[in-house]
Amino acid sequence: MKTYSKYLLPILAPLIILLMPLSWFPIDQLTIAEQRIIALFVLAALCWVLEPIPIYATSVLIIVLELLLVSDKGLWFTKIPSPDLGTLLSYKDIMATFSSPIIMLFLGGFFLAMAATKYRLDVNLARVLLKPFGQQPKFVMLGLMVITATFSMFMSNTATTAMMLAILTPVLAVFAKDDLGKVGFALAIPVAANVGGIGTPIGTPPNAIALKYLVGDNLITFGEWMAFGVPFVIILLFISWLLLSYLFPAETDKINLEIKGRFLKTPQAIIVYVTFTLTILLWLMGGIHGMNAYVVALIPVAIFSVTKIITKEDLKKISWDVLWLVSGGIALGLGLEKTGLAANAVAAIPFGEFSPLVIIAGASLLCLLMANFMSHTATANLLMPIVAALGMSMHSLLPYGGQVALILCVTFAASLGMSLPISTPPNALAHASGHINTQQMAKVGVSIGIIGLLMTFAMVYVLQLIGFI
Amino acid sequence: MTTINIICVDDQREVLSAVVRDLAPLASYFNIEECESAGECEELLDELDANGERVALIISDHVMPVKTGVQLLTDLANEPRFRSIRKILLTGLATHADTIKAVNQAHIDHYLEKAWDGAELLQISKQLLTEFVVEQGLDYQDYLSVLDAPTLYKLIQ
Repeated sequence: MKTYSKYLLPILAPLIILLMPLSWFPIDQLTIAEQRIIALFVLAALCWVLEPIPIYATSVLIIVLELLLVSDKGLWFTKIPSPDLGTLLSYKDIMATFSSPIIMLFLGGFFLAMAATKYRLDVNLARVLLKPFGQQPKFVMLGLMVITATFSMFMSNTATTAMMLAILTPVLAVFAKDDLGKVGFALAIPVAANVGGIGTPIGTPPNAIALKYLVGDNLITFGEWMAFGVPFVIILLFISWLLLSYLFPAETDKINLEIKGRFLKTPQAIIVYVTFTLTILLWLMGGIHGMNAYVVALIPVAIFSVTKIITKEDLKKISWDVLWLVSGGIALGLGLEKTGLAANAVAAIPFGEFSPLVIIAGASLLCLLMANFMSHTATANLLMPIVAALGMSMHSLLPYGGQVALILCVTFAASLGMSLPISTPPNALAHASGHINTQQMAKVGVSIGIIGLLMTFAMVYVLQLIGFI
Repeated sequence: MTTINIICVDDQREVLSAVVRDLAPLASYFNIEECESAGECEELLDELDANGERVALIISDHVMPVKTGVQLLTDLANEPRFRSIRKILLTGLATHADTIKAVNQAHIDHYLEKAWDGAELLQISKQLLTEFVVEQGLDYQDYLSVLDAPTLYKLIQ
């Protein structure tokens, strides 16, 4: 029965919602289009939580169902005029979610990461950066964490984790059998990868999803994000390091991490180095050159394609599933916003009576909890549109930083869910090494989650004090 | 989750049972099949292929009546349908020439001598299965607990 409910629930629940009369909903003047979006939202939530199908497939399903049911070019019977029909979406807008600027930003990030890996910039940088940390286990761990976090700001957290664990594996093998240090090292990598992702808008998909809602007056540029994201990462990373070296002290007194290889000096490798640096500089400069982060992101795409650094075969290896997963979230947000459902639903619930601090803390905690059990991106996909609408309508939030404060807290919370092997792919990979048990991971993950969340609140408070938000 | 098969081929029943016993930790994720001759193995492969099932690994003995293990593995290496299968030759009686043929023509992935160490066979099988899962684009997360982590780290970066 349990296995079947995983498939039945996501089919039945949305169907029931679709068949209910409008008057049964506790929202005034609900339109048919809005009702369909509610059904789609429930479908998405159930599919992302129960995972009867891959999470990116849910995204594709949302987009196609939106096209069929709530677009101006949908199925004939979905468009029969009626006073209750409501606003239908433009099919072009729905399809455009596949190539939204957010997706382009990520595509640019993917190209940079792929080129860096292909020309071994990542491994070579790791070797050079690790040297100053010496051979004492505690400092080697710090070095590994710093490098992992830095890389995961620009590469996928999963790829970074795999690379660093591959470097670490031969070292873990020489540890004594019952040396707790092994646990610390094996945990340090996924923790640093998860935390590092917070540092830049392209570090992890939830950040990019947040950017989608930070527009107009609330615009946050790439450089601005890093201006508060990177210090946050540094502090949380340092705390995590102290925690890990306190909980799992190494008995070995010397660790020798050997990474072989040399920097490539071929013309193509140099193009990769230059383009990588140039893109990041352009991102950091903000608007001085007139280009925004999305436009800058396409520069490496062009350069690497023209110079054949990324070939036809490499193109096939792009994580389209991640891009589509984000697209589905954007489409869901579009549906909620354009049909007017988000604003209506938020108006129907008396949020005004709650203290704004309760809203911020509650939304962040919910996000943190969800992110521990399901994909961070799917969590952000579900929560962000609602949180954005809530932030927009709640005027009592304004003294605390308004919509931006709420969105940032929820976004950071999404990245802090890392207490179980299933929380994130980096956690799953590290757990597979066989050196960590679930309890040890939970102890560290829960501590860092809570400390990180408190730090997020503090950060938002400071940002509000200095008048940034 | 797609069913992934592992096929063990040996004309001696007791050897087959020993191999299957060594691979027991994999049994909850992979379907382990036993064949007593090359012919039986080929028939099974055809049947599995027709059912859309995957075969990830064949562990074969060499000296068997009718058709030898090296000949079986060579034929599989030349058959497009079965080219992705990983191959272990497990034998004590292969001649020098057989061994050369196994490497050059059957492109075996691993050569194990009888009597073998059970833990070693399991470890090598895990590594080869990891390669198969990643290469075939299957979701490695589904099989994580029986894959070889260091191999996985190298393959997915």
